[in-house]
Amino acid sequence: MKFVKPKDVENLLKNLEEDKGKKYFLAGGTDLNVQIKNGIIRDANIIYINHLTELSGISEENNIILIGATTSIMDILDSDLIKRHLPYFQRSLESFASPLLQNTATIGGNIANGSPTADVIPLLLVLNAKVELSSKSQCRLVYIKDFFTGYKQNVMKSNEIITHIIIDKNAEKDFLTFYEKVGSRRTLTISKVTLAGMKKVSGNRISQIRLAVGSLSEFPRRLFKVEDYITDKTLTEIDFSKVENLLGKEITPITDLRSDKEYRYHVCVNLIRTFLNQ
Amino acid sequence: MKQVRKFDARPKLDGSWKFLDDYSYKDMIYGGLFYSTVHHGIIRKITFPVEFNLTEFTIVFAKDIPGKNIVPEPECDQPFMADKEVFHFGQVIMGVAHPSKEILKKFIKQIKVEYEELPAIVDVKECLENEKNAFGKEIIIDHRRNVKPEKGWIRTHSVYYTTHQEQAYLEPQGMIAIYKPEDRIMFVRGTMQCPFFVKDGVEAIMGNTIKEAIIETSEGIGGAFGGKEDFPSLLAGITALLAYKSGKPVKVVLDRADDIQITTKRHPSRVEIETYTNPKTRKIRKLKIDYRLDAGAYQTLSPVVLARGVLHSIGGYAVEDVYIRGRLFRSNTPSNGAFRGFGAPQAFFAIESHIDKIASHMKINPYEFRKANILKFGDEFPTTQKITENHLYDCLERVIVKSDYHKKLKEFSKFNKTLKDKKGIGISIGYHGGGYTGSGEKLLNSEVKITIDKEGFVNIFVANVDMGQGAHTTLAQMVNETLEHPLEKTIVQLPNTKKTPNSGPTVASRTIYIIGNLLRKLSKKIKDELKFENLERFIKENQDKFPKEYRMHFTPDPSAVFDDKTYQGVAYKDYSWAACVTEIYYHADIYQIELKKIWNVLDIGNIVNPKIAEGQVEGANIQAMGYALSEFFYKKGYGRIQGFTDYAIPTTFDIPEIDIEFIHTDSTTAKGLGEIPMDYPAPAIRNAFYNATGIFIDEIPLTPERILKTMNKLPQTNTDDTQT
Repeated sequence: MKFVKPKDVENLLKNLEEDKGKKYFLAGGTDLNVQIKNGIIRDANIIYINHLTELSGISEENNIILIGATTSIMDILDSDLIKRHLPYFQRSLESFASPLLQNTATIGGNIANGSPTADVIPLLLVLNAKVELSSKSQCRLVYIKDFFTGYKQNVMKSNEIITHIIIDKNAEKDFLTFYEKVGSRRTLTISKVTLAGMKKVSGNRISQIRLAVGSLSEFPRRLFKVEDYITDKTLTEIDFSKVENLLGKEITPITDLRSDKEYRYHVCVNLIRTFLNQ
Repeated sequence: MKQVRKFDARPKLDGSWKFLDDYSYKDMIYGGLFYSTVHHGIIRKITFPVEFNLTEFTIVFAKDIPGKNIVPEPECDQPFMADKEVFHFGQVIMGVAHPSKEILKKFIKQIKVEYEELPAIVDVKECLENEKNAFGKEIIIDHRRNVKPEKGWIRTHSVYYTTHQEQAYLEPQGMIAIYKPEDRIMFVRGTMQCPFFVKDGVEAIMGNTIKEAIIETSEGIGGAFGGKEDFPSLLAGITALLAYKSGKPVKVVLDRADDIQITTKRHPSRVEIETYTNPKTRKIRKLKIDYRLDAGAYQTLSPVVLARGVLHSIGGYAVEDVYIRGRLFRSNTPSNGAFRGFGAPQAFFAIESHIDKIASHMKINPYEFRKANILKFGDEFPTTQKITENHLYDCLERVIVKSDYHKKLKEFSKFNKTLKDKKGIGISIGYHGGGYTGSGEKLLNSEVKITIDKEGFVNIFVANVDMGQGAHTTLAQMVNETLEHPLEKTIVQLPNTKKTPNSGPTVASRTIYIIGNLLRKLSKKIKDELKFENLERFIKENQDKFPKEYRMHFTPDPSAVFDDKTYQGVAYKDYSWAACVTEIYYHADIYQIELKKIWNVLDIGNIVNPKIAEGQVEGANIQAMGYALSEFFYKKGYGRIQGFTDYAIPTTFDIPEIDIEFIHTDSTTAKGLGEIPMDYPAPAIRNAFYNATGIFIDEIPLTPERILKTMNKLPQTNTDDTQT
């Protein structure tokens, strides 16, 4: 295990070209340090990035909000810019881990760690956020819905790093929103089920809906099939058994020490129903 | 009664107060424990990793023990270290020490043991359902009075379960041992509740190789809750052996993961209750209880937990015909041990749940039903001990008024008719016998000492520790208020088995009740003897009389006799009484109970320090809330919890509104308080859930998963129940 501290982003990107091996970026360290301590991460290089100020901070550019990868959750909670444009995103993040961890944990880290229970990702999914991936030679944007490929797997190449998270300024405009993180207590809890939802209603018809879940599959994901079925229907037109049926095809809840698959499934169904009825 | 700030509050905040890991000694090395990772098996082969230089390590096995390989306990059946066979996961096989903490950790991690695995019982229900697992000895309280159930009487029969609970003290277990060969003294400093138990433990393992073990606590003890009652004896024993063999001071501080996995927990229970109730008089006429505890692999102090459990199992009710049977069961899990409440929380969960069930069968209000059966002056416990006051009844009446119980009951019933989410309100009552059970205090024969020096300092010497509960501040107050001496000149000395007399362990809600009242008595004697107006002035004017030392033994009330064989007589001289109401909000979407408010009304006699007393109630209520709602230590098929990640103790954000009122505070006796507020809240929460949903769940914790499972098994229940 080698510990590397690049002097700036340019230096970092150059190092990434040369270092082809397994590596982890250390920012807030709230997950990584635990994994190192428990021996889950052993022979990889650890690249420290929390001192790179270019990767941190919240800014606006035309119609978008840019959040640096190493911006802490607390910084997002404190940001006036976020408050102005993305109040639902900000409000929902209050249930992120605990105040202590919010001070340290970073948005980029929550994405890169890619836990099925990650608190930020369901929100970014319904907000249609993009992840900016940078390497020495290029910079590309990937929709968060396309970012994950499997359990803790993603599309990042060995020479890339997450530099920004990009959210449209109008992402929440005219939407009714929903967010519920279900854990064994109010704070400092790992989610058993998370549902993030955004919908637009015209008349009594749901003209647009986005639903994203956490802790119900290998990585947090959008419920596209359920969304397709609901879109353009009125509440009375929705056959809820059909919703349950489709949901069963999109999520794969498990039983573990923390919770049961039946519980996770039923709670997800209940929350979707509650959101639709809101 | 005086509001005095805890004297350790400031140094704990500024960091100057020393906890065990803050102590260091010259040439000190670090020790660790290597323990079994199978539940039951015979040790076939131990292999040490080759890349280490074995000569740098000090290693001790069972065979290296010069004294006895048995930890002194009420039941002496647990070895310090396993020899050939391990009986539970986490059983210590060897102690290891090395000058480097990091090398020690790596080395222990890589030690390999081959076991021949044997059948093991790890599941709580598998242990408690099978009577073949019983340890043999049992406790019977026989108060049968030949009552024959009549036609029309209501029979109610149920089995109630509770699970393990982790003490979750802030500071993990730790010991430092220093051997002084010149005078053959083994000095041990540690985080513990019972210095004299630890002394017995160290002297047992070291045998004749040492002349004496001297035990001193660290300055600060970061919580215990019973978890530092008996495990420290085992840890101190092995640490002492490492110090003896290495010739160097050895420090062992358990890593949190190890601490959680190998130390004692609250006993899981199975309590079966059968009652016959006369619906006309609303009186329970006949009651039978089968009280079982999962003791773990060894009995250790479990017989004492069992004793308190059965003695509290009838709850606060007067029943003519009673038969109680208590047994300990064996499993292949670490021995369960002391935890705030000590058998009583299990007992009250069962009986208080059962009372609501009978009330429901009889279609009457649970408060009315309690009122009809509650212990009153002239009634007796199944031990034939007479009730001499109506204080339990007073607590119940007061809490019903304070909580606006009747009004809420109506409001919630209306709310619940129209909405998916539900509101509920529940009651429980309880009590806790102060001090050791039965003849225990007589046998302990506790002694306290006070010295007064020329400079005007009053020094208090007791073996009871301040583990954060504020005991030393309260004890100092009990002395300084009697002597009318400045508090800053009244000092409680650090417990040390050579310097402080044996005033017994810091357990059983006895520190203020037994030791505090004894110190008051001694202070009164000092005052009467010296006949001073002002002690400080008296010392200045009579310097030749000082320093002076006073001692006093605890003298039990000769009229309070208990027969430890027949369980007849006075089990506890004084009881603290309490009643509680809880209000919950049930979130239907996520099957989750939220505790909104809890009202406590307690009679603990005279209050010494109101803030500290309230703190005890608040802390215990929150611990009980975790016990009732979220904390579980084991899940079938998924094993035992390995750390705090999945062990959900409530955090600040979860804490409900807590209302506390003490009544009958004009008493001259300060009674026990440490445990009672842990004893009763869990069933009140469970009863509130029934009130909200019409569903009885007879097992805690009431996790959302358990609630969903129960609902799925039920036919559609009518929540418009008959309680009015």
